[in-house]
Amino acid sequence: MGKARSFFSRGRKVQTVERLLTDHQQAGLIMHRAGSSDGATWVVDGQPMVNFASCSYMGLERHPELLAGGSDALATFGSNFSISRAYLECPLYTALEEALGEAMGVHVLVTPSTTLAHLAALPVLIGDRDLVLVDQFAHASIHMATDLVDDVPIELLRHNRVDLLEQRLREAGDDVERVWYICDGVYSMLRDFAPFAELSALLRRFPKLHLYVDDAHAMSWTGRHGRGAALSRLAPLDRVVVAVSLSKAFGATGGALALPTAELRDRVRRCGGPMIFSGPIAPSGLGSALASARLHLRPEFEDMQGELRERIAYACEGLTAAGLDLATDAATPVRVLHYDSVPAAQAVVRAMRARGFFMCIATFPAVPVNKPSVRFTISRHNSFADIRAMIDSLAAIAHHGPDDEASAA
Amino acid sequence: MSARDPGTHEDDPSLARAIEDLYAVISFEEGGDPNWQGLRALFSPHARITRVTPEGTDHMDRDGFVAMTQSLLEHGAYTSFYEFEVARRIERFGGIAQVWSGYETRRNRHARAALGRGVNSIQLIRDGEAWRVLGLLWDETNARPDLDLGAIAQRGRA
Repeated sequence: MGKARSFFSRGRKVQTVERLLTDHQQAGLIMHRAGSSDGATWVVDGQPMVNFASCSYMGLERHPELLAGGSDALATFGSNFSISRAYLECPLYTALEEALGEAMGVHVLVTPSTTLAHLAALPVLIGDRDLVLVDQFAHASIHMATDLVDDVPIELLRHNRVDLLEQRLREAGDDVERVWYICDGVYSMLRDFAPFAELSALLRRFPKLHLYVDDAHAMSWTGRHGRGAALSRLAPLDRVVVAVSLSKAFGATGGALALPTAELRDRVRRCGGPMIFSGPIAPSGLGSALASARLHLRPEFEDMQGELRERIAYACEGLTAAGLDLATDAATPVRVLHYDSVPAAQAVVRAMRARGFFMCIATFPAVPVNKPSVRFTISRHNSFADIRAMIDSLAAIAHHGPDDEASAA
Repeated sequence: MSARDPGTHEDDPSLARAIEDLYAVISFEEGGDPNWQGLRALFSPHARITRVTPEGTDHMDRDGFVAMTQSLLEHGAYTSFYEFEVARRIERFGGIAQVWSGYETRRNRHARAALGRGVNSIQLIRDGEAWRVLGLLWDETNARPDLDLGAIAQRGRA
């Protein structure tokens, strides 16, 4: 029972990760310390750089209403509200869950983070007679949570292979009560979407199928009131649970679970370990989150989403016109370019930073060994001119090589 | 001779073919799998496969090698694999042969530069009309994209 064991031991995997990350650290590409930030620009190791790495895609972290919401909550409730929610919760939780429920159209349970949402929900949702199928590239926090469910069969499926999911659904016998398929809505390192249309078709055909979607990277920037990709594109939703982040495009902090019934929400709240044992979100974070949720409900939020979509489209067109090797053509704020080797990807990141653009290296185990990548993001902070300059620099590096100082001018 | 053409320095074409088959069965396109059937046919049931990495050395039989590869695929370590020979030196006596085979791995068939370069030490045994791999040993610790494998090719041509 439990997840199919890796060929390699846990200790061996830790050694591998340490070696690979040490290599990046010694190359000066990770573990930096930020100076000041205005959102659009980050000071990294003393050098101002245009921010092409933030997950705050909507650029809300300096929105006046979110700042005021946090500040007011801090003044009202203090720097923390230190008691388990099982006993007593800050009233901002209730207001936030109601506002998020209205925005997302389902029952919402706020959690300290998306990772803790998984750790709270999955052991409660998955029953003793269930079969669990997980996309191999689902977020690491999903795999961490499914490790807790060690008394049911858990299988990894090749990425976005709906055909394999359907095959396992057909094979599931009467002894299997439910089949859970767990995936990401937007894959943070591959930057593609889950196959929502095909998954919706399977939901309609197989009553045993239940979905659990980590939609952390799709929250806010897509969907009505920013409800994300899964809740917008999946139907029916009565067997769908979605985990989202309030710490990325939402502009605040924490996570949330979107559940189809109030009964299920209450069950996770009562029985999900981190809902009882982990510390609550600080009042300032709740205040900012509540302000953000209310902003999501206003008509002008659609315009703000449109501003980001325009920037994503502009970046996609520019990158394609420059002949750069985009991983996929999905219109998400996460962009990934593949390079032939790890040193080649490292050289591009280093060269881009020398030109004043902060973007990130992405190599195994964050991505497959055969996909050494440069990962960057588009946010509402980015001006069209900055996006143009960034693409021109990437193209110059591709044409002249990362060490050509003339192309850095 | 092109960079990808290892040449044939051996009077038995079936031996060269076995080495070519080795690279063919372990390579696969995006989303695919190695040629499991071909791999089992090429490797002797008595084969030993040894992988040296910075974290330790994996000693495997044929089934263990298949299990390791399947685990790597299942956990997403590779979504495609393309490895080919760039240098070769063969030493043969009767029905046994030892091959020093320089390889290059690329992220896919269309990539222009190496993901990694290293050396496979291959031991083969003649089994009827065909050669089968009895041993495969490689060292990932010292493999790197810019590794110069010219010395192997030079020795092979001597």
